[in-house]
Amino acid sequence: MDDPPSIPLPLGRDRRDDLSPHLRDARPEAIYAHVPFCRHKCHYCDFYSLVDQRDRQPAFVDRLLREADRLKELTRLDGVETIFVGGGTPTLLDPPLLARTLRSIRSLATRPPQEFTVEANPETVTAEVAQTLRDSGVDRVSMGCQSFHPDHLKTLERWHDPACVPIAVDHLRNAGIQRVSLDLIFGIPGSTLEDWLGDLETALALDPAHLSCYGLVFEPATPLVEKRRLGTIAPIDEDLEAEMFEATRERLVAAGFEQYEISNWAKPGERCRHNLVYWRNGDWLGLGPAAAGHLRGVRYRQVPRLEEWLDSTPPAPVVDLERAEPSVQRGERWMMGLRLRDGMPRDVVESLLEDDPARRLVVKRHLEAGRLEWRDERLRISDGALVVADLVVSDLVVPDGVVPDGVVPDGAVPDGVRPDETLNP
Amino acid sequence: MKVRNFSIIAHIDHGKSTLADRLLHATKAVDQRTGRDQMLDSMDLERERGITIKSSAVTVTHEFKGETYQLNFIDTPGHVDFTYEVSRALTACEGAVLVVDSTQGVQAQTVANAYLAVDNDLELIPVVNKIDLPAADPDGVAMEIEQVLGLPAEDAIYVSAKSGKGIPELLDAICDEFPDPPPATTDKLRALIFDSNYDDYRGVVVFVRVFDGELKVGDKIRMMGTGRTFTVTELGRYTPFPEKLKRIGQGEVGYMVAAIKTLGDVRVGDTVTLEHDAAREALPGYEEPKQMVFCDFYPATGSEGGGKRSDFESLREAVERLHINDASFTYEVQHSEALGFGFRCGFLGLLHMDIVQERLEREGGVDIVQTAPTVSYMVDLNDGSTVEIHNPADLPDMSKVQAIREPMVKIEVICPEENIGDLMKLAEGRRGIFKGQRYVSDTRQILDYELPLAEIIYDFYDKLKSITRGYGTMDYEIIGYEVENLARVEILINGAPVEALSLICHRSNAEYRSRLILQKLRKQIDRHQFEIPLQAAIGGKIIARETIKALRKNVTAKCYGGDVTRKRKLLEKQKEGKKRMKNVGSVNIPQEAFMAVLEQED
Ligand SMILES: Nc1nc2c(ncn2[C@@H]2O[C@H](COP(=O)(O)OP(=O)(O)OP(=O)(O)O)[C@@H](O)[C@H]2O)c(=O)[nH]1
Ligand code: SF4
Ligand SMILES: [Mg+2]
Repeated sequence: MDDPPSIPLPLGRDRRDDLSPHLRDARPEAIYAHVPFCRHKCHYCDFYSLVDQRDRQPAFVDRLLREADRLKELTRLDGVETIFVGGGTPTLLDPPLLARTLRSIRSLATRPPQEFTVEANPETVTAEVAQTLRDSGVDRVSMGCQSFHPDHLKTLERWHDPACVPIAVDHLRNAGIQRVSLDLIFGIPGSTLEDWLGDLETALALDPAHLSCYGLVFEPATPLVEKRRLGTIAPIDEDLEAEMFEATRERLVAAGFEQYEISNWAKPGERCRHNLVYWRNGDWLGLGPAAAGHLRGVRYRQVPRLEEWLDSTPPAPVVDLERAEPSVQRGERWMMGLRLRDGMPRDVVESLLEDDPARRLVVKRHLEAGRLEWRDERLRISDGALVVADLVVSDLVVPDGVVPDGVVPDGAVPDGVRPDETLNP
Repeated sequence: MKVRNFSIIAHIDHGKSTLADRLLHATKAVDQRTGRDQMLDSMDLERERGITIKSSAVTVTHEFKGETYQLNFIDTPGHVDFTYEVSRALTACEGAVLVVDSTQGVQAQTVANAYLAVDNDLELIPVVNKIDLPAADPDGVAMEIEQVLGLPAEDAIYVSAKSGKGIPELLDAICDEFPDPPPATTDKLRALIFDSNYDDYRGVVVFVRVFDGELKVGDKIRMMGTGRTFTVTELGRYTPFPEKLKRIGQGEVGYMVAAIKTLGDVRVGDTVTLEHDAAREALPGYEEPKQMVFCDFYPATGSEGGGKRSDFESLREAVERLHINDASFTYEVQHSEALGFGFRCGFLGLLHMDIVQERLEREGGVDIVQTAPTVSYMVDLNDGSTVEIHNPADLPDMSKVQAIREPMVKIEVICPEENIGDLMKLAEGRRGIFKGQRYVSDTRQILDYELPLAEIIYDFYDKLKSITRGYGTMDYEIIGYEVENLARVEILINGAPVEALSLICHRSNAEYRSRLILQKLRKQIDRHQFEIPLQAAIGGKIIARETIKALRKNVTAKCYGGDVTRKRKLLEKQKEGKKRMKNVGSVNIPQEAFMAVLEQED
């Protein structure tokens, strides 16, 4: 069967870059491994995954293990604190192959990791799989539920019976994995506020330690977008989606969760450490086809085609390697850092704004407009502006001086704005 | 040497340019190796779109019955917007090869162009092309030609311009059937300018057909219409590669270079004579093609002045440069509160407008915001005078207006029989008046209507194509101006009138049209942080209203390690898009919104 066309966007340039020099100087704190198999392709999905070909699993695992071995030779791994195996559907691997994969990835970390997460789909988590996970050192599972309404699951072309979810959670707990996170999606075409609140209740009843609640994204080149174009589905009303978002925050806070990121909620002590590395601009290695990594300002991605990846020589067939301009890198740090509800510490903010009067002005304007705020010596998006966070973020990604309250000429910083100007309101 | 002057005419895409290629090959003017497809389509845009925009004249030779014939032929465009090119070409000829695609049959421009040829007293050779295709029905198509145009079916020559089948027979027929050029009627030089183009190296190149006398290098010539004089520095013909000549004889066709600086200095249709031995009477010329469709072009980015050259200046330069190459569009400076400085341009039709915009963007390197196309109106004032306006914003105070007249067209649609009902509904919904109906064949008909040009300039043709699933074709011709009950509708965004969106429309459907436009705008303008009222008004009275609600949600739901670059680029692109929009009353309006005005639902 041919690979589905839904590969992440900025790929496909077939320039192979050499990762080795970057590995030599790096000391990553996290490891991501990508397992590109799924039972069926969901219509909203833009992850790189192929409908399961059991025949390719052994070759995949083999190649992944060689990659892991090679990385041990090429880079320092004594700083690794978290591991995340995602996909795709890692739990679709045959249990013996799954065990080999997990052990090998885990062996990359020279010290026992502080967090070892695997992504799972509910229908794949049998007692045997749960036990395999636990025996391989996994202490956290992130499970894609998306919705408990069969008709909404159908809209997403998501193939699982919602009744699988509590069973899967039981299996995990019985095996000794307490840190269970559930993924949910709101704003599915045809859904109502009641439907969504119902989904939240069902999820809460399972007592998860962590919840990811995403507004549905129409990713380019997915069947969902095609269906929207053909008019067979219509996005829900923007106001309703905003209401769902606000209702989520209210309900989950009442249930004892903290919103620590725009779409992520955790019980105290249950934040996903691995994902925090991304938002805080840490360094991590990406293993497997289409996996992305970041090492000291260099972002890279492996080739998003299984066959090519299988045929390549370890460590990694890198197709997209980029060290962005310093100003662009700073934009990315704002984009990621402001996703966290704790915001960005003052010293980080100050160092980012040093010699960057355009962004300093943007920050000042948004502080004045109440979209940004200082809280406990950290700069963050205010509660009220969270739902329109991109208005703020896009001004910081492209600091051309155009901010929503008024227009400042291209690139120009008006007289009277000095780099050392205080940012306190 | 005997001479045959002819044009190749057809409906769009029926294979004129390919047939021209085949004639070049068959007469050994070019060999297979150096030849490309559609040799005579030399503009980039022509090659990309696969259509001919400008006519081109070439000369080849052919042996027939032991005699050598010089064949001068002109490949013409098929699209209705360029009909004037066809009529010019025809005046330089004695014959026309009428090409009809054997899978498509007689189409609207087949009929229109054939009539043009008949009006010019030309001999016609019907050619049924593309007989290599499995769907070809040459006999049926030959019957259609007989039925509609009265050319006997058995006279049609069946060819494949692709494989070359039938080409020798066609060449023989050209020599055999087309008449010799008529003898001179005076001994003075009279040469008709039937085309001109601009060449960066040689300046203006003029194509002439010598009817009387002969033209030689070094001649001092006078253009009889403009009275201007030049000295001929070069003569030649395209074979299809330029080949210099010392003289162009009576009855022949060729090009002339005479240190003419701009296309504005020559008038196509003018007669060339000798300055010191001038003819008394000029040859009958052409009517200048009239611009019927108008729209504004504004620079897409609004930075005005400052240190670097403003975008308007770049646009001006691009427009002026293009005009040297294509004198058939008009332009004048325009200022709009919403869009700043730009140009109001006039075009021969919608395709012409598209092409000019594309060439400006491509060759001139400018980004353009284009407003919706409109027609020109004749406004009769109470004091008895009449003004012609090309822009709804120029409509005088209605209290001074006695009547507004708008251009009417006669359209001829050829379509499958089963679509007749739907097409009639379409035409009638556009104020069309039924004029007649004829059969082309058992399954296809010709439908005649008269209706306002304004009703067809935006999407009528698209609608026709979709109703007929691509099989319907249309030709139109301006027949004059008529008084209609028209009103000017103003569109207000966030309380500010946006001139570039105002329109003139029939009072009976002003409210309906306005509502549709506002609904379109509502979809095209992004939500802002505040609510935006959209209104349509006639003379200060609001006739329709819509609201764009305030932005409620704009946040990236998912952003993990692998998403950073992509999400960042997405935000950059959105921001970039916003910069390209026009800011009116603190509302960002995308370019498409300015085109929304004439789109209609039926
Ligand atoms: N199979 C086949 N295709 C042909 C033949 N003649 C032309 N074509 C194709 O028909 C298409 C249109 O041909 P053109 O020669 O560009 O047509 P045209 O009449 O010059 O078109 P305009 O200049 O745009 O009016 C091209 O794709 C040609 O390759 C033929 O005899 N057989
Ligand atoms: S299970 Fe996940 S990775 Fe697989 S197709 Fe569905 S959304 Fe994509
Ligand atoms: Mg052509």
